[in-house]
Amino acid sequence: MQTQEQLHEFLTTSIGEPLGLDDDYFELGLVNSLFALELIKFVEHRFGITIEVADLDLDHFRTINRLSDFVAAKTDTVSRP
Amino acid sequence: MKGKSMTAFAFRSLGIYMPDRAVKVSELPELDVLTDVQRQVCADLGIDEIRADDSMSTTDLAAMAARDALAGAGLEAADLDGLVLIESRAPHTLLSSEPARLQALLGANRAVTFSVGGLGCASVGPGLITARGLLAGDQDLHNVLVLHGSKPATPARYRHPVTVNGDGGVAVIAGRTGRIRVLDIIQESNGEYWDLFGVEYRDRPFARWREECADPMAYSFRLAIETRNRVTDLHRRILDRNKMRAGDVAVHLAHNLSQGALRFTEEVLDVTMAPACRDNLRQFGHLGAADVLVNLHSELAAGRIGEGQRALLLTVSPAAAWSLLLIEIGEERTI
Repeated sequence: MQTQEQLHEFLTTSIGEPLGLDDDYFELGLVNSLFALELIKFVEHRFGITIEVADLDLDHFRTINRLSDFVAAKTDTVSRP
Repeated sequence: MKGKSMTAFAFRSLGIYMPDRAVKVSELPELDVLTDVQRQVCADLGIDEIRADDSMSTTDLAAMAARDALAGAGLEAADLDGLVLIESRAPHTLLSSEPARLQALLGANRAVTFSVGGLGCASVGPGLITARGLLAGDQDLHNVLVLHGSKPATPARYRHPVTVNGDGGVAVIAGRTGRIRVLDIIQESNGEYWDLFGVEYRDRPFARWREECADPMAYSFRLAIETRNRVTDLHRRILDRNKMRAGDVAVHLAHNLSQGALRFTEEVLDVTMAPACRDNLRQFGHLGAADVLVNLHSELAAGRIGEGQRALLLTVSPAAAWSLLLIEIGEERTI
């Protein structure tokens, strides 16, 4: 399954509402601290990356497409020698 | 002793006070002006009701808790050598002295008296650190009262998207002898969040004061994940420097913001919070800096912390500050 699909599955299940790839779930008021923790844990474990405080720019996380791009950039960084 | 924590001290007694009047959260007047999403967030906090008594000030609440603590220790107010008030978020009047008012109310005439705070619900840390410092620094001081009365800073009780504030008070008599030994306190803060929550008041009457979150997304996301990283690190450090492992701590207590916040802390630390946290959250709501000590009082009263067991008290403030307190229950002895 592609990164985007995995994120879409996780987010729609967690939020309990249908989400488009460019829907901003922060602006929709659907994010609380527990959800943020679950999201970060999911991304770290599923894609084998570590999210540091310096990575916590909301623009990386606010839509499925942006988060997918962020994961791609991080995994690219991780996989490079 | 590099890396070793400070001199231990003890609670000679722990007192609380809760007003009799209970108010159901579902009947709070401010719910009428919330959006559907905001109302749902409030309903999901896990708070059924709060105690609220508009006739009592924060100093009244603190004084009642102090009398409970004094009775528990078998002391008179005149026996107090120190009085450390954990300040309220909104003093009743400017310029006047709330700690001095409490000194007079209680009759603690000999006590070194002042206030500390500035970190919201994490201000329990500064209060106890100060008591520890007074006891360590002056051998003539034996009984230091640390106390706090909690009320919201505004007429509204609901603080979106965080919690519902109740009224209550807590007081500790700190000394060198006691059953509740404080083994360590560790505290950190990140000043960048100093104004994440605030109340504008200079240009408006009290009825229009509102607790505002300047950036709800920063609170729900950035601060949450920074809290995960900080709390994980502080937990490891407090265990390491006391030569303990996670299994050496039997009881975990946190502050009462919401059931989501309790689950968050449980997931971060991989622990289960003591029953008092959810019970008190449900019936008292958030009591600011009093929360973790009220929860400790409930656990002790229920007999759920046995002799020789240790408890970890965690407080997180949106200020943003993080505080961990490691205690041990044992026979009363001098430290």
